Amino acid sequence: MGDVVQIYNDYKDKADFLTVYVREAHPTDEWQMKSNVKDDVCYAQPKTLEQRVAIAKDFTTRFKFPLPFGIDEMANAADSAYAAWPERLYVIDETGHVAYRGGMGPFHYKPAELRDWLAAKYGAVKHDSAAAAGPTTATHSAASALAPATAGAPVAASSTK
Amino acid sequence: MKRLLKWIAGVLAVLLLAAFGALCYMAGSPKDAYGMVRYALPHMHRGTLKVGSDAPDARLLALDGTSHFHIRERLGARPLVLVFGSFT
Repeated sequence: MGDVVQIYNDYKDKADFLTVYVREAHPTDEWQMKSNVKDDVCYAQPKTLEQRVAIAKDFTTRFKFPLPFGIDEMANAADSAYAAWPERLYVIDETGHVAYRGGMGPFHYKPAELRDWLAAKYGAVKHDSAAAAGPTTATHSAASALAPATAGAPVAASSTK
Repeated sequence: MKRLLKWIAGVLAVLLLAAFGALCYMAGSPKDAYGMVRYALPHMHRGTLKVGSDAPDARLLALDGTSHFHIRERLGARPLVLVFGSFT
């Protein structure tokens, strides 16, 4: 198990990472979830790139998110190319080919699979307890694929909350 | 004939109700079921990429809000992990 921040901390010396912020999954003006209100993560769907940047900055600041970060432009080119919405994981190998293709989120978004892929290539990184959560500073918002989770906590399907 | 049509309509109604019930169960509530159908399903795609496919490129905006870069620019001598998602 484990979230992407934990995986990043474990494997950043072996692989490069890039987070791509795509259109919001549960904005206030679309399918907002109770967990968004509970976690105070309430944003309307951005209509401009500036609004996307503002939300992305809120996110990275709030969670002290350490991964390199890029923002999909309003044409959603990255989302379309990678069928990324609402959340998805990939690994691109050194030759520019897809080496791991994660399932479509939220139900098939499985950071554990990504960890397994990296572990198979570079060796497993063991954690003895939840204390190994690294620099994460907040409890997991199940509605956000990117929000850091407590180590060992499953990344739940957002629609189950 | 009329009776047959009534049967078909009844079976369809039961199937629709069962599908809606299953959707509500999956989504969490009728409101969430509506949200899933109205807002999520139209944007969810399995995609055509497979292991071994050429990684597509796309231009991204950096967090500074002014500079741009391409996903493939980040490809180097090591694997590149791509994490797609949003805040909510």
